[in-house]
Amino acid sequence: MLKSKRISIFTGAFGSGKTELALNYAIKLREKGKKVTAVDLDLINPYFRIRSVREALETRGIHVVSPRGKLAGADVPALPPAILGVLEDSSTYGVVDVGGDDIGAAALGRFKNNLAEGSFNLYFVVNTYRLHTRDVPGILSVLNRVEKASRMQVNALISNPNLGSETDPETILEGHRLVLEAAHQLKLPVAFLGVRRNLADRLKNQEVPLFPLDLMLKLPWQDG
Amino acid sequence: MKGNEAIGEGAVRAGCRYFFGYPITPQSELTHYLAKRLPEVGGLYLQAESEVASINMVYGAAGAGARVMTSSSGPGISLMQEGLSYLAGAELPCVVVNLMRGGPGLGNIAPSQADYFQATKGGGHGDYHLIVLAPNSVQELLDFTGKAFELADYYRNPVMVMADGIMAQMMEPVELKDEAQVEIPAKPWAATGMIDHPGSKRIINSCYVIPEEMEAVNIRLKEKYTQITLNEQASEGYLLEDAEIVLVAFGTVSRICRAVVEKARQLGIPAGLFRPITLWPFPAEELKRTTGKAKCFLSVEMNMGQMVEDVQLTINGRAPVYHYGRLGGMVPVARDVLQEVQKLYSGGVVK
Repeated sequence: MLKSKRISIFTGAFGSGKTELALNYAIKLREKGKKVTAVDLDLINPYFRIRSVREALETRGIHVVSPRGKLAGADVPALPPAILGVLEDSSTYGVVDVGGDDIGAAALGRFKNNLAEGSFNLYFVVNTYRLHTRDVPGILSVLNRVEKASRMQVNALISNPNLGSETDPETILEGHRLVLEAAHQLKLPVAFLGVRRNLADRLKNQEVPLFPLDLMLKLPWQDG
Repeated sequence: MKGNEAIGEGAVRAGCRYFFGYPITPQSELTHYLAKRLPEVGGLYLQAESEVASINMVYGAAGAGARVMTSSSGPGISLMQEGLSYLAGAELPCVVVNLMRGGPGLGNIAPSQADYFQATKGGGHGDYHLIVLAPNSVQELLDFTGKAFELADYYRNPVMVMADGIMAQMMEPVELKDEAQVEIPAKPWAATGMIDHPGSKRIINSCYVIPEEMEAVNIRLKEKYTQITLNEQASEGYLLEDAEIVLVAFGTVSRICRAVVEKARQLGIPAGLFRPITLWPFPAEELKRTTGKAKCFLSVEMNMGQMVEDVQLTINGRAPVYHYGRLGGMVPVARDVLQEVQKLYSGGVVK
């Protein structure tokens, strides 16, 4: 099993579920009593990013670093200086949500020299039902481009196969097999398998730890 | 799929092989997707120097008979209005995607429906109409983009697919049908070079200096618009049979209003939803036909009150028509709309 590190960085293809994974991961760390900062490094997607759930995180005691004020709603590459603080402050756990694909990962490269060897896990989130990661060669190709753009090495995959609301356990298992195969070829571990909380009971006994997810980023007609 | 990707894939599957555009949030992933996808199928993606250039490149490609598309958001669509008028005047088929954002002016990148007037009432100069389709799911973004190309070719008219940033950015599962060979109808008017049609000049033009000639063209266009109005109105109804209060909404807001109707029904309020799918032609016939029991209408929009005018024209004084809107890129919240419905229902408007 992969050892958790102080800094967890979530990369992946567009729409792989990075942000949901990162948000849930931050909440899980917080529930364990850790001091947690969520860093929004998504310069690519102007919607559905960490800053849109800032309030929900802050009420849980999670600190959020993302562009503030006018910059929060702008489509400009604004990186708040507080990001460096998180990377260097050894008393806080940092959860970093990176933008999708290689173009999103480019922003991460800027922090390469601020990330001490061994202080972080660089995750690559895979949803095998997304266009460009539907098969092993596709997964390897996007991963390769993300590594090149960030100039960093991925050290674990996160399996997140889903078809949104139409996901059932079979959907997950079928996709998960592909992720395992990709991980095998890459000689990388699969850190965990993300599944919606209501499906977790039906997916016990996987060789990879399950990560039950509560979806945070909702559409306006899903506001309960 | 993401909404932006679905539009791109829908276009490719409809036989679109040319895209001219210029990036603007929230539709940049669409251009990104087509930049990758079009070369795979032997097509051409070109980032123009501006939206004005893109729409004129569309004019050129459409004039040569190609299935061609461009896309933008509010500010870019405004820049394209001159070209759209020319396209309508020269009767050139093409598809234009508008993923609306907050305005006026540079506005912001949040979702909006404030370009309804621009899309349905002209936008550019002269008497003309675009056909305007308003999808409300990622599946429909894919399907309607394909449908838009068919309508454009059939009527020789520009067609707009209009949605907003939420639709563009959201993800939903989609069903991709097997790729069938697309039959692009013959275009005996297209200027493909004299080698193709020796002896017969084909001229793509919207300039008629003699008023009598221009008027004849205008009359022909009017007949075409009448045909489109008769044949192409499309809409969807939800719980309208016994609805006393009818919400009218398109796109993103129709999804919110569906949830509102369900909640209102739980509270014993006989609410229903009328959802225009074509914004032009506005589905007036169906709105008149399916809302016989309605005692009041509430048009819910992300603007100051635009579609509400078409609802009023259609209802023509038979029942009161109200508007609820959020502005500036804000999205209506279901419980706020429900409150508005409750207010209208209990306030004696619905008796």
